[in-house]
Amino acid sequence: METIDRIYEKLSRMGMDEIVINGVSSDTEQLRFSNNSKDLLNQWYEIEYSVFAARGKRMAEVTLKSENEVDAKLEELRHMIERVPENPSFFGINPKKETYGHVGVGEVADIDLQDLCESAINGATDAGAERSAGFAYLVKFRHTLRTSYNEANYNSGGTELVIRSFLRSSTGQESIHFGPAFRTGSIDAESIGRSAGDMAVSGKDVSQGDEGKFTVLMSPYLIGNIISSSSEFLSYYSVDSAMSCFAGKLGFSVSSDSFTLVDDPLDMSGVGFRPFDDEGTPTRRNAFIEKGVLKKYMQSYSTGKKAGTESTGNAGVIAPSAWQMRIEPGTRSFRDILSEVKDGLFINNTWYTRYQDYRNGVFSTVPRDGVFRVKNGEIVGSVSGIRISDSVPAILKNVAEVSKEIKNTKWWEEIQPSMMPYVRVNGVNISRSF
Amino acid sequence: MPGELIDRIVSYTSGISRFSDARFMSVGSKGIAYRNGEFEGMESSETSGYAIRMVNESMAFAYTDSEDWADIKAKIDLLLPKTRRQGKNRISETDPVRASWKVDQKKKIEDMSVEERIEIARGHDRLLDDLGATVRMNFIGDKKILQSYRDSGGTAIDAEISRVSYYYVFGVFENGQFEQSTGQFGSTSGYEYLDSLKLEDRLRSEVKALRENLSAPSLKPGKYDLIVGPEISGIVAHESCGHPTEYDRIIGREGALAGESFLTGKEFPYRVGSDAVSIIDDPTMPMSYGFYEYDDEGIRARKRYLYRKGYTDEFILNRESAAILGVEPNGGGRSSSWNMEPLARMSTTYIEPGDHEIEELFEGVKSGVYMKSFTEWNIDDIRFNEKYVGKESYLVENGQIKGRVRRPTLETNTIKFYSSIDAVARDLEFTAGSCGKGEPMQGVDVWMGGPHARLRDIYLK
Repeated sequence: METIDRIYEKLSRMGMDEIVINGVSSDTEQLRFSNNSKDLLNQWYEIEYSVFAARGKRMAEVTLKSENEVDAKLEELRHMIERVPENPSFFGINPKKETYGHVGVGEVADIDLQDLCESAINGATDAGAERSAGFAYLVKFRHTLRTSYNEANYNSGGTELVIRSFLRSSTGQESIHFGPAFRTGSIDAESIGRSAGDMAVSGKDVSQGDEGKFTVLMSPYLIGNIISSSSEFLSYYSVDSAMSCFAGKLGFSVSSDSFTLVDDPLDMSGVGFRPFDDEGTPTRRNAFIEKGVLKKYMQSYSTGKKAGTESTGNAGVIAPSAWQMRIEPGTRSFRDILSEVKDGLFINNTWYTRYQDYRNGVFSTVPRDGVFRVKNGEIVGSVSGIRISDSVPAILKNVAEVSKEIKNTKWWEEIQPSMMPYVRVNGVNISRSF
Repeated sequence: MPGELIDRIVSYTSGISRFSDARFMSVGSKGIAYRNGEFEGMESSETSGYAIRMVNESMAFAYTDSEDWADIKAKIDLLLPKTRRQGKNRISETDPVRASWKVDQKKKIEDMSVEERIEIARGHDRLLDDLGATVRMNFIGDKKILQSYRDSGGTAIDAEISRVSYYYVFGVFENGQFEQSTGQFGSTSGYEYLDSLKLEDRLRSEVKALRENLSAPSLKPGKYDLIVGPEISGIVAHESCGHPTEYDRIIGREGALAGESFLTGKEFPYRVGSDAVSIIDDPTMPMSYGFYEYDDEGIRARKRYLYRKGYTDEFILNRESAAILGVEPNGGGRSSSWNMEPLARMSTTYIEPGDHEIEELFEGVKSGVYMKSFTEWNIDDIRFNEKYVGKESYLVENGQIKGRVRRPTLETNTIKFYSSIDAVARDLEFTAGSCGKGEPMQGVDVWMGGPHARLRDIYLK
């Protein structure tokens, strides 16, 4: 992109020590539906440049959208850098000359969103749902990076489909993403819709749930929600800020040994795919929790320097973050695991996860879209009015089993792009409304 | 000049669609952060573009940041056939209005130097450090919004808006025990708002409360009378009145995301609480964080009673949901940026003050809890099953405050909460928030608040 080159040359002439420019152009189509019919089609065409620069330990960032804004915004950037205090925790950006694999992604395949949504709605209706709501995306991104040390670009994107089906007040939801490796025709939207419809139909007879400690079989959406909301605790930024329940636990057991959590941004089956991070470090598969042991925190070059370790390819220049988390699968099926739950709950989804104590990871989250009572391996009813009120450390310690099935989950702000199995957790604290 | 193409856009789309509108919006924002005594950096962003809506057999939006007419026309021409496919297409068309409005600032954000912004955040970080907060994050932000709206019916609205915000998170940590606090404040104004906040007094009080919480006892579960402060009445009004009265939720349009409403399928007016409960949403409240004179669909803003004397009264409507309900839109169409669709959104939502003095609420309590502020909260997707955990909280015995209690929890439902209210005080106070909704998620600036209120005989733990 010529604009990126112009920004880079101008910042160089200003005498900046460190420069990072991320340009993203996007072409995105979205179709929204509710009550079984189309609400709206949205089409976005955007270009945005995020520009980070530092002189010594003084740093600032501007975002601009067009060539016309370059001169004014870069002058503003210089003005800010000349006036802001030093950030003692900033140790620069990745200075190594890098080479990148997995950057040769072809174009994202085209797909007719209206056909996709209609298939999903039909699947849900066939399963017995009264009505369905949801949306689908077709996303095409072009990313271009230029830093003081590296240049690279790649295409990304994919398709997302969310469907929530209703039978009276009962609901079931599926929320799946397909990364740039997907091909037209490979998405079985009808089956996804049928699954949401089945869940809604299964939960139609609802009673008030009970308080207490329960064995909970968590769906990929529920465990995906908990992992997404707590993933920032694995960032060194949170640890360094003393706002992480994983602080001080490096090398120690933080979960049961049946639990391994990785970040794998090179998995092209998901929309979280990316070959390099925000400062040009090649991304890679990182196991942050391996067989229960906390192995490392997410690091940028700068946080890695401060921590005395290496970047993990998770920059954010200021705050490292996860790209595409995956809980490594187990060996047994969801059905087999369910059949051994003597007395517990199967919960398909939660939302509104909020923390009263970051340091100890204490939170609650509200179940929705399938909350079932399980006795002797059988679903015997559906419950409502309950909430998971527990802590991240306790949930991880009590993971008893992980399924072999994995779903590519992503939903709203609640679940980041991730690959999640079903997980059985013992002794989960359930509270209820009175 | 950015935004000058808007008349040309609507002139063109008017000829090829049943209804069309276009919105140009530029948002210039600045922010800085201080973390544990260290300056985190300063950020400035500039974003602008056009949201172009056309309605034929169905509705569609194109969002583009281009300023080239040929490019924009090409995008519109690509959109047109998509509006010919079947879908929902009801939208309220109103009489033409031409207006412009502007937010006055005494201490203009344009005039605030980098050093002044930094000093505000640094000062509060130092104060928190001196007070013994072991973890500290302070964020200061402002934005300047220029907006133009045009529609095919002849409406033309221009606006210039400025907003200022302050956000903090801090915590105290002793012997493995941790207590945290977050605070969010904002105003549609200039920086004079921060001067009026008395943030220093608030931070002193909050740190003291957290430190005393560390050694405070837990509450014995049971039924109590409960007095809630304005921060609680505000979050309750927002979550369990504002959200469920957004009409797009009632008709299921947000079903897969923010959810539906416990009011879906009900006959109106529907009883939600005691006669003491009235809740208002008012975009026209001066300086409020959600202040506007016209919404993002060119509709004049006005005050709305959402609940009145214990019953539902009016819903929050944008053009689309008003057409479905068969009434005039009431100025609730808001979007967070040029590239987001306007949805039925809150502005400033609050429990209407009553006629009691605060002291009178306490006088009638034999055994109770005063929950002044909250920490964790959440609510289900029909806005019924909800939870609020007290931050600064006290036991009340025979009308007197009797020491702190740690994290008392109210886990109840909307009808029980509002039905338990028997008295509402005269006071009124607000905090700010970013209200999330839509897909992609868009946070709009809102205020929420209310007076002290008393609930009788409600289960706490």
